[in-house]
Amino acid sequence: MLLFAIITSTLTGALIVITRIFNFKMADKMGLFEGASINYIGGLLGSMLLALLLVRPSKLDFGGIPLWAYLGGLFGIAIVVLSSYLTKRVSSFYLTLLIFLGQLITGILLDWLVEGYLSIPKIIGGALVLIGFIYNLYVDHIEEENERKQAA
Amino acid sequence: MNRLSSVLVGALIAVMILLNGTLAQAIGNYTAAVIIHLVGLIGIIIILRVKKSRIKYYKSVPKYAYTAGLIGVMPIIFNNIGFNVLGVSLTLALGMFGQSLASIVVDHYGLLGMPVVKFNQKKIVGLGIIMVGMVIMTVF
Repeated sequence: MLLFAIITSTLTGALIVITRIFNFKMADKMGLFEGASINYIGGLLGSMLLALLLVRPSKLDFGGIPLWAYLGGLFGIAIVVLSSYLTKRVSSFYLTLLIFLGQLITGILLDWLVEGYLSIPKIIGGALVLIGFIYNLYVDHIEEENERKQAA
Repeated sequence: MNRLSSVLVGALIAVMILLNGTLAQAIGNYTAAVIIHLVGLIGIIIILRVKKSRIKYYKSVPKYAYTAGLIGVMPIIFNNIGFNVLGVSLTLALGMFGQSLASIVVDHYGLLGMPVVKFNQKKIVGLGIIMVGMVIMTVF
């Protein structure tokens, strides 16, 4: 299960790159929310199909689920809106870096909240992950700067 | 302020993983995916109503782009699996790593109509450091 989860989580990143490009192509012509509505309709149809095939209704029990757990979909919208606003105002170098930073720090804090203890290896490993990303984003950044200079 | 907001986007993503993962734990992954999309769609419809906006069909949008939502079901289900097995931070770290690899491939070959940006081999160093970090997060 561990290996399976590692593979699916990595694959998620690749799929997100594809859907981000597709969503950008829709939003570019239609507008941000109009494109997003098509995105959510597609997602709803796809997940309903999966649920119809794979979920037995008798097994469903909505009791005891806290209200906040239902709000993930709204967070999704907030993320799309805010990141598209920031794309025009923050360089892609800093935007990517700061989003990664926010994800990792909050992720480690939430793991602390859920698991009940603060994992030191997760902080050390997380810091290394961040350093690796900073290095690669910096390589990209330098390359872009050089191209800009050559073009000028 | 904009830079602080960028960090906030990352924080929102992490909280979203916790919310969706908790829902999936309680009700099952596929039912959770339906609810997550339904809540999102209701939110979007409210925004579109307030904006008095109408959705039109644009010929200039490539047909395959309309499948974004359909493809997007899998990341949501995969994230819920990740949350339940790996926790929030490692799920996100692996996702970011996957994004890096996919971006490198898309850029290098100019896939999906994106401009070609050849792979810079210096980036192997960064990918190596990221992998070491993730191994430490997983094993210990």
